[in-house]
Amino acid sequence: MSNILISVKVNGTEREVLVEPEDRLIDVLRDDFGLKSPKEGCGTGDCGLCTVIMDGKPILSCITPAFQARGREIVTLEGLNNDPLMKNIETSFRDHHAAQCGFCTPAMEIMGYDLLKKVKKPSKEEVKVAISGTLCRCTGYYDIIDSIYDVGGTE
Amino acid sequence: MGVEDLQIIMAESLKSALKEISENKDATIIANGTDMMPRIRDEGLKVEKILDISALDKELSYINVDSNLIRIGAMTTVSEIGSSNVFNGSLNAFYEVVSKFGGPQIRNRATIGGNICSATSSEDFIPLLMALDASVVLQSVNGKRTLKLNNFVIGKRSVNRRNDEIMVEVQFSKPGDDYLSGFEKIGRRNILIINLINMAIVMSLKQRRVNDVRIALNRVSGKVPGRARLTEGFLNGKEIDGNIISSAREKLAEELKLSSDFRASADYRIHLAQAILEKLLNRFREGV
Repeated sequence: MSNILISVKVNGTEREVLVEPEDRLIDVLRDDFGLKSPKEGCGTGDCGLCTVIMDGKPILSCITPAFQARGREIVTLEGLNNDPLMKNIETSFRDHHAAQCGFCTPAMEIMGYDLLKKVKKPSKEEVKVAISGTLCRCTGYYDIIDSIYDVGGTE
Repeated sequence: MGVEDLQIIMAESLKSALKEISENKDATIIANGTDMMPRIRDEGLKVEKILDISALDKELSYINVDSNLIRIGAMTTVSEIGSSNVFNGSLNAFYEVVSKFGGPQIRNRATIGGNICSATSSEDFIPLLMALDASVVLQSVNGKRTLKLNNFVIGKRSVNRRNDEIMVEVQFSKPGDDYLSGFEKIGRRNILIINLINMAIVMSLKQRRVNDVRIALNRVSGKVPGRARLTEGFLNGKEIDGNIISSAREKLAEELKLSSDFRASADYRIHLAQAILEKLLNRFREGV
């Protein structure tokens, strides 16, 4: 089996990395680049916890082959550390105690971020739709919905 | 993935993809992988050679309206369909398919071409496109051919693609502005589901009478999608009321030849199909 050299922009930096044909994007992000915010929950595209942003859109890194990231731009939660909107979202999650075990938090925050980039003041229904593909087994969702909802209109 | 010696051929343009598939007829084509990747992991799907066409989004992601013909590029994502205004009005059912499709992250990757070529009963665009009498465009180094969708999707995971072809487009005539369209699916929850049954209806009402109705389901016989022609024939020319709806329900049960599996029994699926038919017809009667 021959490895594939790909170029990919990760959190603003052009990177080159040798990937194996069967590698998934999440493997490269976590193991090669040390970016641990994307989590592997189910590994089959059901739970949403591996969410990262590819070319401006949230996608599931556990069902994206690594070789398909070539020429694309990937942003993980780490890449949004200094983003004012993401700072507000993180503060809101803290204020609402929206993280319990925290495993879904990066994905939830990215989905909230994506929604708030598109809709300045979303309704609670829109927030629910935005996180509908991301599972949380601790919180019961209400604190997460409130966290994202409350950031709306504050920008 | 499934095997030790996995070979990946990465096409950066349609031209090179066509050349590669003509030389690698045994290759499995992967678009963005939302169907294939879970199958490799969950179902142990074995693939030895992959032709990756994900980079063809530059050429095959489009929604064009040429006078009356709507043409959707195979690499157009579900999200892109959802954010296009082409489907306003008589094609509103497209937005219903999108809003019930996978989850938001899946919609950003899943393509209409992948949805059609995966050809399982859980592919939600197939019934709607069949109700619109859509055609697929297949391309090889030797040129293009157009095939009706119902002649392309012939069974579960079975399509009439020659092994040197790539599906590049789906196209259909836009129904008139007086047409109504609707889509419903039923599964165990509202999002991230594999449906038990789904149905799309396209029709118009002329003097309150059903005109040119097209009803398609993900399953009409076993696991094969198709049109409910008997029910269509019964409904055409009739004014929708309670009696007509209950007769239409009986016609539908008569013509569906479904099978049972671990998700649901045939009887339950027929019951759900009847319920969807009634719901959509009632909606159309009220003019929405």
